[in-house]
Amino acid sequence: MNESGRAAGRPVAALVLPAVVLVLLMMVAPMVLLFRYSLNIFSPTELMIQALTARNYLSAVTDPYYLAVMATTIRMAVLCTLIALAAGFPAAYTLARMRGRWKAWLTLATVFPLMVGNVVRAAGWMTLLGNAGLLNAALKASGLFPDPVQLMYTPMAVALGIVTVVLPYMILTLASVIEGIPRGLEEAALNLGARPLTVFRRVVLPLALPGVVAGSALVFILCMNAYATPILLGGPQFTMMAPAVYDQFVKTTNWPFGAALAFILLAVTLALTLAGRALLQRRRHPA
Amino acid sequence: MLQDLGSQDARKTKLIAERVSRHGSMDVVHLGDADMYQMAQLGVFEEVDLKAVPNAATIIPKLRKPYSIPHIFSAQIILYNPDKVSGVTGFADLWDPKYKGRVAIPDLNYAVVTFGAALIAGGSMSNWEPAKQKLLDLKKNDPKIYPSHEQLAAALKTGEVWIAPMWLARGYMWQKAGINLAHVVPKEGAIPIVFEAAVPKNAPDKANAWAYLNAMLDAKAQQGFADRMGYVPTVSDATLPAAVGAQIGFSPADQAKFNTPDFAYQAKQLPAILDFWNKEFKA
Amino acid sequence: MTSLSLDGLRREYGATVAVDRVDLEMQQGELVALLGPSGCGKTTTLRMVAGFVAPTSGRVVIGGRDVTAAPPYARDTGMVFQGYALFPHMSVAENVGFGLEMRRVPRAERGARIAEALRLVRLEGLAERRPAQLSGGQQQRVALARALVVNPAVFLLDEPLSNLDARLRAEVRVEIRALQQRLGLTTLFVTHDQEEALTMADRLVVMQGGRVRQTGTPEEVYERPADLFVAGFIGSCNILRGVVEAPGAFRAGAMALPCAGGAPGERAALVVRPERIAIGPEGRLPGRIDLVTYLGGTTEWHVTTDAGALRVSQKTPDAADPRRLLRRGDGVMLDWRPEAGRLLSDSNEGEQA
Repeated sequence: MNESGRAAGRPVAALVLPAVVLVLLMMVAPMVLLFRYSLNIFSPTELMIQALTARNYLSAVTDPYYLAVMATTIRMAVLCTLIALAAGFPAAYTLARMRGRWKAWLTLATVFPLMVGNVVRAAGWMTLLGNAGLLNAALKASGLFPDPVQLMYTPMAVALGIVTVVLPYMILTLASVIEGIPRGLEEAALNLGARPLTVFRRVVLPLALPGVVAGSALVFILCMNAYATPILLGGPQFTMMAPAVYDQFVKTTNWPFGAALAFILLAVTLALTLAGRALLQRRRHPA
Repeated sequence: MLQDLGSQDARKTKLIAERVSRHGSMDVVHLGDADMYQMAQLGVFEEVDLKAVPNAATIIPKLRKPYSIPHIFSAQIILYNPDKVSGVTGFADLWDPKYKGRVAIPDLNYAVVTFGAALIAGGSMSNWEPAKQKLLDLKKNDPKIYPSHEQLAAALKTGEVWIAPMWLARGYMWQKAGINLAHVVPKEGAIPIVFEAAVPKNAPDKANAWAYLNAMLDAKAQQGFADRMGYVPTVSDATLPAAVGAQIGFSPADQAKFNTPDFAYQAKQLPAILDFWNKEFKA
Repeated sequence: MTSLSLDGLRREYGATVAVDRVDLEMQQGELVALLGPSGCGKTTTLRMVAGFVAPTSGRVVIGGRDVTAAPPYARDTGMVFQGYALFPHMSVAENVGFGLEMRRVPRAERGARIAEALRLVRLEGLAERRPAQLSGGQQQRVALARALVVNPAVFLLDEPLSNLDARLRAEVRVEIRALQQRLGLTTLFVTHDQEEALTMADRLVVMQGGRVRQTGTPEEVYERPADLFVAGFIGSCNILRGVVEAPGAFRAGAMALPCAGGAPGERAALVVRPERIAIGPEGRLPGRIDLVTYLGGTTEWHVTTDAGALRVSQKTPDAADPRRLLRRGDGVMLDWRPEAGRLLSDSNEGEQA
């Protein structure tokens, strides 16, 4: 930055200060409070006994049940992020390279699902995937499957549901980055003898990497915290972390343990997101 | 007068969060009896002001509590599809191999289902220990567990499942919605649930809150509720039409056999019950 | 040997015809400039050669092979893009080596050829830089090196100088031409700048409205423009409208003016270049000076005559020359040799072929 830019920085800082304070108050303060709760002791009659103990964390990380729930959550989040990336990239590319009226319509079509709540969308999947749902009716009519195929309450249904929830985020994040890649770079590569797949691998993908990193991180975080979709489509036997946290807070009013679970989920999500980013970043600059 | 229409769990969480604050956000709180008991133990409610709630005099004596008024009640019964199932007498029929894969369990009702299992396994409302083995045995019958009551209703409707422990009020509503259903009050006795209302100590407008509670106990209002929602009145002066009464009511004999929850015991055991339910029964 | 031939190229976009009936034969080592105002179809023509735009009809033949249906990567052209289109995530060496890599040139040979290409464009020592760390002129040279390192059958340049400042442009112009001649590169060059085209090209293709108006050497196009559009687009000219009285005599207003040939009675436009007009005390056409513009090496006089307003441009006369003293309002005589007066069909400028 030049001198004038730096000098202009000070009043700008003053302008953003109220916003920063507001964000701190509204986002950080509840987190601090929640963290404090996680160090308390639960009592069924008094709810919370003030304490400073790591007991909630210890019992969570040593409980095979929660380890399994965390493993399920991570597996599902990774799977859904990869599917969203694979399905989202071609769509984002098409969107980014489109022009004029069609682009506006397609962008709207991408954003549209975001206007419908997750629960409503899950309900849609339920009518599609249920044993008496549309899909099974079609399978039955085809004569190939006389008995209903179990589609609901399977990990596949959850993956399908989550991917459709997060896909718009992936597409929009990727598209905004791909739009910044001049079309001329692809033409230059084609002109130099690169086939379309090579153009993608050597030019588009490396330059879209910031979008891949941002989109995957965003989607991964959303997947790790998925709540309504796993409950409604996975059924009671399929448990992910967010519903487990909710159970502790609401069904048993065990706030300290619920808070500890929430922070463990937060820490694991953060660690995996940073690890994934570092991995992608290293691919970009092979040392 | 503020009426909070969030979910029951959200209301409970809000009560806990606001309990140290001098000015609450709710004038009247509706909760199920077990939750109401737990909250009352935390000392968040005013004692019911009998002068301000004259209708409290008509409350069925067994349902009277110092910290709340009973609004409506129902009980867990066995609901079934009469085309597929017959001869049901009690909770034990869920274990009948004839119904393998056709038993539906509502996930939200984990506590009351657990106590139901305890009752036929030699336990009681104050001892759920025997329910553990009984529920693990039920898994052999491949029960379908539903995350919401609505999903369970949809499965009953399509014939995916045939038999389920459920609140009678829900069964009544579903029947009215056209699902082919019948019910039986289990011979070991049904477990009642009372939906209650109370006034928090930090309610902003207590005078109106008491008036609201009084109106809830009005015989006409209770009859309307019964007809529409299938819940039984909690006051002695609200008589139901015979047809409705037969469908949602409980005979004096049924009522005498009610297994009323041991709220103190249940509150203490709830975390352990949920743990068992999630980690072993559902696993 | 013919390196590139375009045969009746046509491209439509919906109802609009962007390029129509473009024919061109290019010899090995020739530099041809596609010249015209924006929207004339020159860039679309270049992109059809590169394979980025499919012709609606017509053929593109490179080195004897019909590549009309071939994708861009199978055409053996080397293109320098207007914005250079350097890969920002690759070093200079990686950029230049990209085409070699695609052609599966062994690594050792690749290194040598990259070094040679960078030496040709005088960028030795910058091989490890990223494009963002280079100046505009350096980026332009990387783009050149990247396109020529693969020895393409046809070298394509899309307004390669438009992003450079004026001084650098003149310098790079000479450099590109020298390089092109030394390496014998068959080059097709798109520009809207007539000076650029005149100084660099062996032949010009002047386009307008999707069509070729004239193809020829710079001298042919300048001295013998095919129509009024070409005459006006390349260099500046005076246009007088009138009738041919007799071969060599053109009547405009009250004046009979010298011209080359012509059939008596023909309505025509007489085109005379400003620098072909003599100005002084003697001549056939009297006039009065409106404006004198001193440009250092040359001087321009705007003169009103009975035949119309004319612009005259001559080497600035010596201090002793009486023409140095001409001022606004002075009377002068103008004249030109008959062969400097070119007769062209009198159409509205550029409306028809």
